[in-house]
Amino acid sequence: MPVGVIKVARPAPTLAQRRPWLALLVGLWVATRHFFQSAFLFARGRQNFTVHFPEQRFLQPPAMRGMPVLVRMSNGKERCVACGLCEWACPTSCITIFPAETADGVERYPEVFDIDMSRCMFCGLCEEACPEEAIVMSRQVEIACYSRRGSLWHKEDLLVPRDQLQTRLDYLHRHYDA
Amino acid sequence: MARSVRVTVDGAVLEAPEGTPLLQAMLDAGLDIPHYCYHPKLSIDGSCRLCQVEIEGMPKLQISCYTPVRDGMVVRTQTPEVARTRQGVLELLLLNHPLDCPICDKAGECWLQNYAFRFGSHFARTVEPRRKHGKRLDIGERMLLDQERCILCRRCVRFCREITGTGELAVFKLGDRSLLDIYDQRLDNDYSICTADICPVGALESKDFHHRMRVWFLRETASVCPGCANGCNIMIGERGNRIWRLTPRRNDAVNDTWMCDWGRLNYSFPQAPQRLLSPMVAEGGRLAAVSWEQALERCAAELRRFVARHGGSSVGAVASPHLTNEELFRFGQLLAALGVETSAAPVRRGRFDNLLIKAEKAANAAGARLLGLARGSDDGLKALCDGIERGRLKALYLCGEDLFEVLVPERAQRLLSSLELVIFQGLALLPALSGAAVVFPATTFAEKEGSFTNHAGRVQRIWRALQPAPGWLCDGEIFSRLRSALCGERDTFDPAEVFQEMAAAAAPFSGLTLEQLGTAGVPAANGAAAP
Ligand code: SF4
Ligand code: SF4
Ligand code: SF4
Ligand code: SF4
Ligand code: FES
Repeated sequence: MPVGVIKVARPAPTLAQRRPWLALLVGLWVATRHFFQSAFLFARGRQNFTVHFPEQRFLQPPAMRGMPVLVRMSNGKERCVACGLCEWACPTSCITIFPAETADGVERYPEVFDIDMSRCMFCGLCEEACPEEAIVMSRQVEIACYSRRGSLWHKEDLLVPRDQLQTRLDYLHRHYDA
Repeated sequence: MARSVRVTVDGAVLEAPEGTPLLQAMLDAGLDIPHYCYHPKLSIDGSCRLCQVEIEGMPKLQISCYTPVRDGMVVRTQTPEVARTRQGVLELLLLNHPLDCPICDKAGECWLQNYAFRFGSHFARTVEPRRKHGKRLDIGERMLLDQERCILCRRCVRFCREITGTGELAVFKLGDRSLLDIYDQRLDNDYSICTADICPVGALESKDFHHRMRVWFLRETASVCPGCANGCNIMIGERGNRIWRLTPRRNDAVNDTWMCDWGRLNYSFPQAPQRLLSPMVAEGGRLAAVSWEQALERCAAELRRFVARHGGSSVGAVASPHLTNEELFRFGQLLAALGVETSAAPVRRGRFDNLLIKAEKAANAAGARLLGLARGSDDGLKALCDGIERGRLKALYLCGEDLFEVLVPERAQRLLSSLELVIFQGLALLPALSGAAVVFPATTFAEKEGSFTNHAGRVQRIWRALQPAPGWLCDGEIFSRLRSALCGERDTFDPAEVFQEMAAAAAPFSGLTLEQLGTAGVPAANGAAAP
């Protein structure tokens, strides 16, 4: 049961979206334009289409959903209280949490927090479900590994200091506080 | 039987016995009326004010829990005024409620959450800081109290006064400062965790379940508590093939909506590390793990050889009162096929009270008696022990560990060591059983289907909550296969079919089927064979 429904205004479909054959022409036009633009730049000894990975890296926009990570607060602890909502929301069931009790006022923390990255599909539902802003989608996408075991990320590996995630958090605030 | 009266609720006519609280009549008719303080098994308090409805002829809304039904009453529950009132009541309850849902054990089955979502306003209008009270207060051996979460419905207070009669809890102070607490006596009664069940919010929490598992992950299976002969109806909460909690299930003929703390916390034995994992046979002086087929073959061979040499009457049998009726029936058939004459079903006895807890600490001692596996006031124990001590019985088919719980260890040890052949079927291997010829691992109540007979002769059904390992044979199947091997005829173990056979063969169960037991159970034909 939704608590409140936010209606998102959608722009009216353009002429090309309404006429499929026109869309084909538009697509061809875009490709042709890019071809000549690139060819022109290349002839002048410049490039705008290749990123020389790994020396160069492309900084993805904050809307990008890379691997989910856990927020580490300035006191060194995780923000997560092991409420289990991300575990419930996750469509691939790749999150495993075992809660435990702390002596401080927070009462609860995840003793175990594992994400099986080989199953994660970067949908971001965990981030959306979290009531504590404790799990966010980072820009990290370089997570290949040599073994299945390596694709299982534990809490210690998932924790990222909060200030490194500020861009994404600001982005989220812009959307949810609207 | 009270006269039946007719009430019109939202245009539909319902019938209820005169004097029934209007709320109960509406709930019985399947209407969903929000309420907190009303509980069918406790006195009426009328403190939460959430159950208000419009009654024709009354100037103001009335609380439906404290209004008995009257003939011709016309009730409306869907008017704007009722909706506004519910919203107002919820707003007041939420005024000082902490934002604890992410760390609260009740989240997911909390009535404040549910009703706030459905009938609340979704927005808080206050900016003032919320009231601070005690959190995580250690109020009992098994209970915690969070005073901030309490909505002062006083269900727990009434439970302790009316059901257990111990009265540990009370609401202290007045008005806005009211808070729930204990007197100097801690909440340690035998049923203390029931207060966590009836608490509509997460104010009272069981220490055992505290921060252990989210309720929405649990798969709930109806079952019967194996703790004592009362056979309280329960739900098993399972996830990842292990039990996380047991909760009582309402059955007015057995346990109302309660269960004792001991029974509730007695759920770890199915996942005990010392449980047997595979069948074993004696090999060169010690026990070695073998496949089920090998163990069954060996067991049948040993029994056949022994019976051929000494006759069936020199074999004794101990039936476990933890087995289901169907399994006991098959065991009886196996014993008959062997010609066994002496059998016992020893039951450990312990503390009891006059609420639920019974002295016999097993779920199906009555079933063993009704099926003739235990005779006499001592359940056949004396005859069996005498038989072994005099040398008349030279072999023993021993099911369960119960024998070691009723006999002094030295005596049990002596009895076992004087036997020529011991076949053991149980959960764990005790040192006294190292001389057994064949050992079969047994299955717990949570891993099988079937029925138990409680102290009053009520036959109640259990369902499987945990999956045994692939290829695992439950106790009934072991008996069936052994009987097949010994008599040649093919025997399978399907609880419903065995129940049918049992109904045809054993008078107390005649006319019953497993299906018919449903979730509430049915009394056996001639009641309990209570000693
Ligand atoms: S991003 Fe999606 S798939 Fe990955 S952990 Fe979160 S909810 Fe699960
Ligand atoms: S939803 Fe957030 S707070 Fe809850 S368990 Fe997941 S990361 Fe932790
Ligand atoms: S602790 Fe729970 S049951 Fe007791 S008064 Fe408070 S809300 Fe009601
Ligand atoms: S009273 Fe007996 S049957 Fe009921 S919960 Fe306790 S041990 Fe189980
Ligand atoms: S249920 Fe009627 S006042 Fe609480």
